[in-house]
Amino acid sequence: MSTKEERERIELLQGTLDLLILRTLLLGPRHGHAIAKAIEFNSDEVLQVEQGSLYPALHRLIKRRWIAVEEGVSENNRHAKFYQLTPKGRQQLELETRKWDKLAGAIARILRPAE
Amino acid sequence: MWRRKRMLAELDEDIREHLAKETQDNIERGMTPQEARYAAVRKFGNVLRLKEEVRGVWYSRWLEQLGQDLRYGLRTLRKSPGFTVVAVLTLALGIGANTAIFSIVDTVLLRPLPFKDPSRLISVHEGLPKMGYPKMGFSHPDFVVFAREQKSFDALGSFQSKHVEITGRGEPERISVSRVSASLFPMLGVQPILGRSFAAEEDSPGHQLAILSYGTWQRRYGGDSSILGQTIQLDRQPYVVIGVMPRDFVFPPAGLDDIGSPADIWIPMATTSEELQDWGGSYFMSAVGRLRPAVTLEQERSETKLVSQGIIDSYPAAIAGFARKGDLSVTLSPFQDEVVGSVRPLLLVLMGAVALVLLIACANLATLLLSRAATRQREIAVRTALGASRFRLVRQMLTESFLLALGGGTLGFLLAFWARNLMLALVPSSIPLPSHVPLNSGIFAFAIGLSILAAILFGIIPAFQASAATMQSSLQESGRSATASRTHRRLQGFFATAEFALALVLLMGAGLLIRSFAKLLATNLGFRPENVLTVNIPLPRAAYSHAWQVENFYKQVLERVSNLPGVESASISNDLPLNGYEMVSITPEGSDDSQKQTPQAVCQSWLLGNYFQTMDIPLLEGRWFSLEDDLNSQQIAIVSLSAAKKFWPGQDAIGKRVRWGVNGPWDTVVGVVGEVNERSLNEPLVPHVYRPFSQVAGPFLEQDPFSDWHAMNLALRTKSDPAAMTSSVIAQAHALDPDLPVTKIRTMTQVISSSLAGPRFNTILLGSFAGVALFLATIGIYGVLAYTVAQQTHEIGIRMALGAQRHEVLQLVLYRGSRLALVGVGIGAIAAIILTRWMTTLLYGVSATDPATFAGVATLLVAVALAACCIPARRAMKVDPMVALRYE
Repeated sequence: MSTKEERERIELLQGTLDLLILRTLLLGPRHGHAIAKAIEFNSDEVLQVEQGSLYPALHRLIKRRWIAVEEGVSENNRHAKFYQLTPKGRQQLELETRKWDKLAGAIARILRPAE
Repeated sequence: MWRRKRMLAELDEDIREHLAKETQDNIERGMTPQEARYAAVRKFGNVLRLKEEVRGVWYSRWLEQLGQDLRYGLRTLRKSPGFTVVAVLTLALGIGANTAIFSIVDTVLLRPLPFKDPSRLISVHEGLPKMGYPKMGFSHPDFVVFAREQKSFDALGSFQSKHVEITGRGEPERISVSRVSASLFPMLGVQPILGRSFAAEEDSPGHQLAILSYGTWQRRYGGDSSILGQTIQLDRQPYVVIGVMPRDFVFPPAGLDDIGSPADIWIPMATTSEELQDWGGSYFMSAVGRLRPAVTLEQERSETKLVSQGIIDSYPAAIAGFARKGDLSVTLSPFQDEVVGSVRPLLLVLMGAVALVLLIACANLATLLLSRAATRQREIAVRTALGASRFRLVRQMLTESFLLALGGGTLGFLLAFWARNLMLALVPSSIPLPSHVPLNSGIFAFAIGLSILAAILFGIIPAFQASAATMQSSLQESGRSATASRTHRRLQGFFATAEFALALVLLMGAGLLIRSFAKLLATNLGFRPENVLTVNIPLPRAAYSHAWQVENFYKQVLERVSNLPGVESASISNDLPLNGYEMVSITPEGSDDSQKQTPQAVCQSWLLGNYFQTMDIPLLEGRWFSLEDDLNSQQIAIVSLSAAKKFWPGQDAIGKRVRWGVNGPWDTVVGVVGEVNERSLNEPLVPHVYRPFSQVAGPFLEQDPFSDWHAMNLALRTKSDPAAMTSSVIAQAHALDPDLPVTKIRTMTQVISSSLAGPRFNTILLGSFAGVALFLATIGIYGVLAYTVAQQTHEIGIRMALGAQRHEVLQLVLYRGSRLALVGVGIGAIAAIILTRWMTTLLYGVSATDPATFAGVATLLVAVALAACCIPARRAMKVDPMVALRYE
């Protein structure tokens, strides 16, 4: 089982990852692999997410009903699960984005005080 | 829930899909299929862990772990059946005993009386504290004054019980009847389920009405509702039935110091005019009142002083002096306290005792678990290495303890049924316990709660100990580390010491009771009970309405019985030793005219025949009654030694005079006899005045409607077995009047035995608990020492190899054992001194801190401890150094 520090690290990552997934789905439903690729791409390869950790995040979001699951067919005609944003999820995304901006802004002000 | 299942089931597939896609992408980026797959898998991360994480999202981790713990615990317990069975049985016994006693405590002490607003019911008594009678009943005229002058009671009710013979429909039977004021039932808030209660105007002489108890209605009249309006015969007097009370209505409640049994039938109090003029004569009526809503008991108590004065002022001048001198006063106490007060100390002591036994059992289990923990160290070490947190391990071991405790608790609850039945069956009638003690869901909750508490008590220390195994030492080949063992040993020693301390407290309590009981047995009775048979022959009033008829009958029976072969002497009396008594007031003549004549409370007995010879009560001075003493000769009396000393200290009692009440005719004292115990063995002696029945059986007696001169006792001293004479005695009585019941057939030895029944019961009960405690504590210390010796075999081997002698090893073990025991005894002694204080009311002739008992009990415990040490000590002695050294 994880030690306390490990658990804290994971929690921080969990929250952020959830946010990224929600944002990615804002543009439309995607399947799991596509979400992972989108995050990597949109962050200019800065964020290298362990792709497996996507799935616990997705399940968490499903449980909270911020995203919904649908069966569908992917690009290469393979069966896949598509995840899409729910209205509640949309709300949460706005909320969390604002919180994140606030946090980032505050840190930025400390790190680079206005000259 | 189905969503969860579905998601989890499809997770595997989702992961496979994902990997497939990533692999495909990699191939498109130019890798070989193998490289592509490998890169995809590596990028994905730890599949196992993320699967668990996903599971953790959907399932409450806590619940799942609990399920795991439970299953694991059950498996572990099943693997060691011996231990599990012993543990569960021990717990079942401990929890069962506690539950049974608690159910009785709950019914008796914790439930309010089944009346309306019972906390406001107050018992009212009169008392003559300066004369040595702090608590008596009321006399009729005094009650009238009290009712008139008091201001704090909303309602007052009075009652007085007696035995009568019931005839009419059904067999003649002797039953208990209670005279009640018309206000009583409304005050208690009870209504008859059939018919009605007494109206206020019916509470006067001439209204012969009766209300039946539910039991009597069912038993005698088959529950027939046509009994209403019919007439029954009480002592051959007609009474019309006007009502039936509800099934659960019991009044007077058992435990009140009344005549000792709840009434079968209630009749109106109907105070007669003679009773209303009976100042200072008898104080036998009981009174209960309902306090006004805003008044507190304290307020009422201050008011009673005024009322008491009012009562004294109402006395005729001749007697008022006596009332003032005795400080006649009214006292109050909560009714509930009176009902349960007599049995409360015993119940509380029993609760304490079983609680101690359970604690000892828990300590035993704790040491057992500690020993087991040592054997499980390897398992714990492996689990820790695999990542189990200490918290998780402790939780899992506690779950095992909970399983044991819940098993023991449930079994214990079932055992409690049996224990409760046993206890209620064996309890003597002198201890007023209810006949129906329910074991309902509330009691079950108590049992479960107690189980949980026990589990925490005995489980927590071993759980912490076990989970603290350090990895290194456990995984090594030796499998044992010196540090872990030492803590274990010290803890076990602590538990063993605790057990001894607790056992000492219990043994002390039992020891005190045993000594008390022995003292009771050794009390000088004042008479010789062996070979004495007693029977009670009640005469129906209608057939024997005149005193001379009664006297005649009893004289004839006496003569017939005295002439039977095998009978040494016989007598008739209205009471018997140890059988209860009636107190009346008599006034002894002052030694000189200047001395004021104050009434005294005494026992008065009426005798026919050779009472003193039959009972073998010594004549100290003067003479017995003889056949010549009748209504026409000098009116005489015999007094007991304590009466003589009290009334005429330093003088000769012979020739002095006493009178009944304050203005009865004078009787001359012609003899002084030895003391006899009138009430029960642990109460002080009361002065006794004896009168020949022939001199009492006159018109005066006929006017007294309520004393029991119609039911006198026949006592006979036999040459051999008294019980064998029973049928002859009955035959003689029936030869004179074939329809007479002959009741209460007992030998005096039986009477004494039943008066001792209460203390005997207490002693046996507490003694059993103490015995169990001693047994458990002995096993405890034996277990601890055996374990220690086994653990230290290696060490002992080394010592021996280095030159220690066998007897030195023996000394070592004995020393350790006796040290544990002595510390336990020491702590226990301190606890016992503090706790036995609560037992004082149960003791007789022994103080709660009796040093002799202390010494005896302490010695017993230490001796037992040493005996328990013997086997492990011998085993230690037998250790072969070579084998011990080789054994790792």
